Amino acid sequence: MKIRGTVEFKDVEMGVWVLDGEDGRTYQLAGGRSALLKEGQRVEIDGDVDTGAMGVAMVGPVLRVRAFRAL
Amino acid sequence: MTPAVTWMRARWWLSGCLALAVGCTPVPARTKVSQPGNSRASAVPHALVIDFRDGTPAEEVAERAGRWGLPLRLNSVEGTRSGIAIAEQVEDVDAALAAARADPDVEEAEPLVTVEALAFTPNDPEFSRQWNLRMIRMPEAWELSRGKGVTVAVIDTGIAYEDHDDFVQVPDLAGARFVSGYDFVHDTDHPNDDNGHGTHVAGTIAQRTNNGLGVAGVAFEARLMPVKVLDRSGIGNSADIADAIRWAVDHGAKVLNLSLGGPGYSRVMERAVAYARSQGAVVVCAAGNTGTGQVSYPAAYAGAVGVGALAPDGQLAPYSSYGEALDIVAPGGDTRRGPGNGILQATIDRGDYRKPVLAEYQGTSMATPHVAGVAALLFAAGAKTPDEVERALFAGAVSEGSWNPRAGHGRLDALGALQALGARGPVDWKPLAWSGVLLVLLLLSIQQKLRPGYLNVILNPGTLLPLLISTVGLWFLRLLWQRWTGHSSEAVELLSLPLPDWERILFGRGRLASPIMYSALLPVVAALLALRWRTLRPVVAGLALGFAGFLLYAAWAKAPGIAYLPFTFLARPWLILNGLVAALVCRTMLRREARR
Repeated sequence: MKIRGTVEFKDVEMGVWVLDGEDGRTYQLAGGRSALLKEGQRVEIDGDVDTGAMGVAMVGPVLRVRAFRAL
Repeated sequence: MTPAVTWMRARWWLSGCLALAVGCTPVPARTKVSQPGNSRASAVPHALVIDFRDGTPAEEVAERAGRWGLPLRLNSVEGTRSGIAIAEQVEDVDAALAAARADPDVEEAEPLVTVEALAFTPNDPEFSRQWNLRMIRMPEAWELSRGKGVTVAVIDTGIAYEDHDDFVQVPDLAGARFVSGYDFVHDTDHPNDDNGHGTHVAGTIAQRTNNGLGVAGVAFEARLMPVKVLDRSGIGNSADIADAIRWAVDHGAKVLNLSLGGPGYSRVMERAVAYARSQGAVVVCAAGNTGTGQVSYPAAYAGAVGVGALAPDGQLAPYSSYGEALDIVAPGGDTRRGPGNGILQATIDRGDYRKPVLAEYQGTSMATPHVAGVAALLFAAGAKTPDEVERALFAGAVSEGSWNPRAGHGRLDALGALQALGARGPVDWKPLAWSGVLLVLLLLSIQQKLRPGYLNVILNPGTLLPLLISTVGLWFLRLLWQRWTGHSSEAVELLSLPLPDWERILFGRGRLASPIMYSALLPVVAALLALRWRTLRPVVAGLALGFAGFLLYAAWAKAPGIAYLPFTFLARPWLILNGLVAALVCRTMLRREARR
């Protein structure tokens, strides 16, 4: 699936990168390269929501990133 | 036997009982300062208290004040009734006390003392930065419990608990107690931490405390079980976590800390949580960091305790999830307010797991181990079941009313929870059963033709109510109160205790029972009143039967210690003797009433 949104860093727990999605949801980014992880960057991400994933961040569903492009 | 003779005998019996009860009541030592359970008394300089005979008029007190040159004033609105007067700014306290003690109208004179709460302050140098532990009143709670012997599983990224391969032990965990754990991510017996989260959480639960190093932990005499289910990036899957929950419970964990979660419901994990509870373990989970009204799983499962996070000012932290599944809130920090506002524990560096650090984090993950730690304190203090632990956690929590979605049952309070545990044990029906058996024995000991008459006396509200009050207490009061108001009240808690335990209303909760209440004194005094007012007989019969059952059961169940007795082994003979006296009072009342 493809999701558009803004990349943000949240200082909770150990610190976590999220995508503030245009669909109104917040996704925890997993597997993103450092080029993706830039505060305020608008991107379109190609990836899958891992419904079985759980973690320490607890900020929203985990989005496993396959690829992305900056908007 | 004529009624007159029977009357004489009854009087003889009752006076005998009274003499026995009073004669056996040891006089409290005069030097002993009565102290509630969790407090310490210290003298106030240049101040004293004088207890005049009850009813001493104010003029007499004023006259003494002039004669002794003391600024004496009656202490309270109780005024002349209690006869307690105090004087402050006294030059020579010893001389004033000597003068007062020589006065026949003075029952007692002693230095004025303040009673302050007992508290344990650990010597860990960074303890002063742990606002979170003060917020939940750990220093006071540590006087009551430190979690000894309870195993807490930290189901997380692992714990930096050993030097193994590349991994190091965090110095402030050296000497902490560990039991074997498991690494479900790599399937090994070495659940070391490669992230830093699990070690931080474990530190809040049981950091080595009072070791002159680093920081303190909530239940520092508890045992930690490291269970790794999350990888280096802090992510795992529901299958591993469900497995880990069952594994931890099967290996002896009584408290499970899950500072993790996600939005996805999993039937497998819900069943694992239910299994943990059914095996007697408490499952404590983070509510989530979405800042929305949706609590994460597993916190949202029915069997889990869902924990939200508080900022240092006691407000819900902006990131904390809340909502219907929120059970309680605990300090989780708010680092936006600057350094010093997070939760500080020892852990490993998030970039290099070989490097121990002290780190301040914020999150509902940080709030959760406070609750898990207090759950361990409660188990160590005698709680038997997860229900009991949760009741105490919620009843002891500080709240502004009933449950609400942004605070659950309120702010975690370690001292409050331990105190609630003491007052809120499940209703013990056994004293009532003992009274029932005693009644059968009493009926067998009297003439057969009178027995129906006795039963008439017993099956009478005026008898049954005092019987109930003196054996199990008005347990329904606190249930009704809780249902109506949604929280507990100290006064209602005490009133719902069995009558012999009402001394706690006056003297607080100590380890020892009062020899005045744990005796036949009250039934005997009531019986003397019933000599004059005969309609009281059924009431006294119920009261005495209840006391007999309560005291004999207390003796059988390895009674509490009795205050002021010179030897502890005398407690049981004391209870048996007084229980038998109460049974005799009951028998006398029943016979008098049945003959009528």
